[in-house]
Amino acid sequence: GVVYRSLEDCPLDEDEDAFQALGEEDEDIDQFNDDTFGAGAVDDDWQEAHERLAELEDKAGSGREPDGPVGNDGDVLGDPEDALAERLTRLVIDSELEDPAIMQAVHTREPPQPGGLNSSIWDSSAVLRRIRGPLLAQEMPSVSVLDYALPQRPPQARDEERDPSERALPRRSSSPIIGSPPVRAVPIGTPPKQAAIPNFNQQILCPKPVHIRATMQQRYPAPYGERMSPNQLCNVPNSSLLGHPFPHSVSPVLTHLQRAQLLGGAQAGRMSPSQFARVSGLVGSPLPSVNPKLLQGRVGQMMSPAGGFRAFFGAPPAPPPSQLPHPPGPGSHLQNLRSPQMFRPDTTHLHPQHRRLLHQRQQQNRNQHRSLNGSGGDRGGHRSSHQEQIRKDPYANLMLQREKDWVSKIQMMQLQSTDPYLDDYYYQNYFQKLEKLAAAEEVHGDGPKKERTKLITPQVAKLEHTYKPVQFEGSLGKLTVSSVNNPRKMIDAVVTSRSEDDETKEKQVRDKRRQTLVTIEKTYSLLLDVEDYERRYLLSLEGERPALMGERKQKICDIYDNLRGKAPGQDR
Amino acid sequence: MNYMPGTASLIQDIDKKHLVLLRDGRTLIGYLRSIDQFANLVLHQTVERIHVGKKYGDIPRGIFVVRGENVVLLGEIDLEKESDTPLQQVSIEEILEEQRVKQQAKQESEKLKVQALKERGLSVPRADTLDEY
Repeated sequence: GVVYRSLEDCPLDEDEDAFQALGEEDEDIDQFNDDTFGAGAVDDDWQEAHERLAELEDKAGSGREPDGPVGNDGDVLGDPEDALAERLTRLVIDSELEDPAIMQAVHTREPPQPGGLNSSIWDSSAVLRRIRGPLLAQEMPSVSVLDYALPQRPPQARDEERDPSERALPRRSSSPIIGSPPVRAVPIGTPPKQAAIPNFNQQILCPKPVHIRATMQQRYPAPYGERMSPNQLCNVPNSSLLGHPFPHSVSPVLTHLQRAQLLGGAQAGRMSPSQFARVSGLVGSPLPSVNPKLLQGRVGQMMSPAGGFRAFFGAPPAPPPSQLPHPPGPGSHLQNLRSPQMFRPDTTHLHPQHRRLLHQRQQQNRNQHRSLNGSGGDRGGHRSSHQEQIRKDPYANLMLQREKDWVSKIQMMQLQSTDPYLDDYYYQNYFQKLEKLAAAEEVHGDGPKKERTKLITPQVAKLEHTYKPVQFEGSLGKLTVSSVNNPRKMIDAVVTSRSEDDETKEKQVRDKRRQTLVTIEKTYSLLLDVEDYERRYLLSLEGERPALMGERKQKICDIYDNLRGKAPGQDR
Repeated sequence: MNYMPGTASLIQDIDKKHLVLLRDGRTLIGYLRSIDQFANLVLHQTVERIHVGKKYGDIPRGIFVVRGENVVLLGEIDLEKESDTPLQQVSIEEILEEQRVKQQAKQESEKLKVQALKERGLSVPRADTLDEY
């Protein structure tokens, strides 16, 4: 199969969201597309898989390796599943190695692990394995639905209760789908079973500590006293790993990237010293070894799941309260609470009034401490309500922390932009207004300044992408794929100039109206530019300022000309 | 952990009770258990709530997986204020009946309107064929 390098080579995808979500960084932020076509997709090579399955059934138990593109690596892999794993790994890693976008892709050979297919794909960091080593002792082997999802395995009855905490993620294979860019180091689709550290992250950030979940035999309704919530279990072994294993080394001189971050992320002149320290503090620590030029394009991928996030929120990087290890102590307290009612074990069959009564009783219990949803949006000190949540809601934390981090990472990547004032004009303005209000209130109000956490989005250097329609060898014509950056031309709009004679009165009126609308549009356009100059003025260096003011003045004159009906751009 | 302050990231909303309005007009109420990058939602202990006038009825539905593109809006329900509503809850049968009656009435009035317009030689323009100017 042929692997295509850029997004534009992909065939038209029904999933418009994938394309909408992509910025200029087509090659890098292509998680959706990869999910559909790339490594996230189901292996479309069903013929081969089918053959393999047939062979497997014929020769049950024999370790014959199937024929196919899977090379004989020297390892005698008795298990066809592992053969597929090999092929996958190679496909993934090879394409990564070729891709200029990825800074460092390390091809590591990993012994096939019996349990998970995913691990061989995603975890190629030896460091990670070392970290995982001692923690693995706690991991109990469990039936993984992952195995079930593999096409090679003969369908076995997996009716035994699958522990939802071992939630299996559908197996992913990278298929050489046309147009799909090579697999990124960024995981795509659903988060992998083990914490995924992309290859290049080794260079930049420390690997994220793995959340190992001890398997729970029964999720519910096991009494709370006897077990900790999943998050607690995760965090107990990991607590020593949380925080920054890397020493902070703040580089005294800002790299271009850091400056861009400061300028872009913070409002001009409004960057508080604490924010400054935070941004540079975090960015500084992993940077020293990395070429800044490379980094410019790679900011979005810099994020490690948990640790890197702290750069993006202006909040101090304190360990969040919910992650501190809970002692298994509250057992006795829980026992008392548990007996009256579980939190809606299955109340859907109850009469609505009965349910409401039940719920109200629970409410009262809860209100004695604090409301479950947090009182009025109080997010900060919600430790006890979080504990309440764990205690009362047996279904809480179905979504793992790392999964949340993973989604958050994707969302952050989507916010990357070369010019936030261009891409996200309204949000930036809205936020400025909010801050102005807050600042004004602080002046009049009392008390210390409330540290409002601010979202700082990374700034990326602009890369030029020209669409080149891809062409197969030996075929006639080219594929044209529509994407957000290369939209399909739907209308063949041709401009025809009218002659004045055959115009009716109505048409004239209509044209006049249109002309007026166009003038208004132009005026607003110019006005936006003028405002833009004012903003750039504040950010720019001293030398550039007069030039900017000059341009701004010119724009104002253009507005005037435009409103007067003259063509803008005349010399003054 | 403060996920993405100032944005509409749904991560902070997990495990909380939400009201979700879908594009087909349905209203779902349930506990938001999981999300993904497309804002696909997993709702737990979901109830479909039908509103007719001042009355409403709940149909228990269980677990919903909602594709993100079908969501119009969603909002967190304040559990304390949830029961503090002027609306009156009725049984499912009753609310479905009310809904049917309301639909019928609406259709009849629409038919009458079109008829009246036709008699006068006018036609109700359909939204997609409206002229711009």
